[in-house]
Amino acid sequence: MIECNNLTHYYGRKLVYENLNFHVREGSILGLLGKNGTGKTTTINILNGFLQPRNGECLIFGENTQHLSPQTKAKIGFLIEGHIQYSFMNIRQIEKFYSGFYPNWKPAPFWELMSKLNVTPMQKISTMSCGQRSQVALGLILAQDPDLLILDDFSMGLDPGYRRLFIDYLREYAKAENKTIFTTSHIIQDMERLIDDMLVLDFNGVLAQTSVNEFMGSFKRFDFVLENDKADLKKASFVVNLDKVKNKVELYTYSSESIVKKYLDDNNIKVSNFAQVKMELEDAFIGLTGKY
Amino acid sequence: MMWKSIVYKEWLKIRWFFVGYTLLGILGIGYLFLTVKHSFAFNGGKNTWNIVLFLGHQFFSPLKYVPLAGGLTIAIAQYFPETVNKRIKLTFHLPLGENKILLMMHAFGSISLLLSFLIFFGLFTGFSLIYFPVQMVADSLISIFPWFLAGFSAYFLVALIVLEPAWKFRLFYSLVGGFFLTIYYTSAVTAAYGPANTGLFVLTAFLSIALLFSAHRFRKGEM
Repeated sequence: MIECNNLTHYYGRKLVYENLNFHVREGSILGLLGKNGTGKTTTINILNGFLQPRNGECLIFGENTQHLSPQTKAKIGFLIEGHIQYSFMNIRQIEKFYSGFYPNWKPAPFWELMSKLNVTPMQKISTMSCGQRSQVALGLILAQDPDLLILDDFSMGLDPGYRRLFIDYLREYAKAENKTIFTTSHIIQDMERLIDDMLVLDFNGVLAQTSVNEFMGSFKRFDFVLENDKADLKKASFVVNLDKVKNKVELYTYSSESIVKKYLDDNNIKVSNFAQVKMELEDAFIGLTGKY
Repeated sequence: MMWKSIVYKEWLKIRWFFVGYTLLGILGIGYLFLTVKHSFAFNGGKNTWNIVLFLGHQFFSPLKYVPLAGGLTIAIAQYFPETVNKRIKLTFHLPLGENKILLMMHAFGSISLLLSFLIFFGLFTGFSLIYFPVQMVADSLISIFPWFLAGFSAYFLVALIVLEPAWKFRLFYSLVGGFFLTIYYTSAVTAAYGPANTGLFVLTAFLSIALLFSAHRFRKGEM
């Protein structure tokens, strides 16, 4: 449904990424994860045709995103970072406005969501809270009934209650209607509840593209205490990331416990309190990308 | 249906500005002809005609920047909300060609401005004919015509400037645009623009699509 090939982009001389390749399969919910500055919003902008990459291309429904036809745009729901909408309108006006563009417009989901908010139909969106605005934006996307939803940092500005409401509503809708979602968020716990697949960007490239289950099943954290804190573990090929404070070590790897232990034994590195630590997605994300 | 939705959104943005500007303009024209009436009452018709015909007094000069103010007002009311938080992205994401949407928005703003201007033009012509002969009224209309074109140019230029994504380009366009607008106000002699009005009209018409350049730059991701 989405296919990006050899994407390369710079801002001035600063490289954002080079030869980035990824795809999003139909019916999946893919989360684009990465630290600030790794190119998440850049990718969203390229997907929506608001940025021309230096090289490469993205295709949505087989069309280059720089020249999406109106028919294809009608099949894509787009949430702008910060739940931006036409805030000079009230909810009745905005529903009337958008309904004119989409032949399959379904007002029921929009009004159902609006009924949960403590707002009047004549209340301008500009006077609503960020959480209320997020529901307006989500309701409009649901009413549009697109096949693909592109959501740019849907968590931004939302309190925990609204974030939960947004995620649960969205996931239930996407799974019930077989929708595809491509989303970013800087709150990884939110992503864990929502996404099936993940694409992790680091500075200049992709660190991982896999399903969340597969990643969480294969990516591991081992904690241990070194007897000699000068021991150097970074040379080990299986080490994805290493966080060392004095002689306490957090080691992140895709390899098994036996391989790690064998390496320690073979190199005569004495350790104590060796244990595999269970991780949430956020822990694993930090383990993969590093704290800095 | 889609064009109705676009008209609806644009109307929501500009309605109070449009109504306010048009009412103020009508009041301004009313005030202008009150002063003309006052002049006829106190100086007499002969003297007033004499001042207008031979001393070059332009009784309509208070109208000079009224159309310009209208162009600025409608353009800012219409395009500024699109640039706050880059809301223009929402507009470009609508299932229509990006240029087509912009031109429809632009046509709506231009027609609104035209409507105001036609009301002003009609009132001005009607009131003028009460006090002055047809030839004098015709010369007056030739003189005020470029001011109305300046109103449209201001509208087109502000759209170009507001939609431009880079501040340095905005500044550059503002300076060039400000200089460009002076060509509509060069001569103070009544009817002096007679030979130039057609050319100015064509120039203004060309300017009407300038905003497409800013939109193109926005979609390329220029910053």
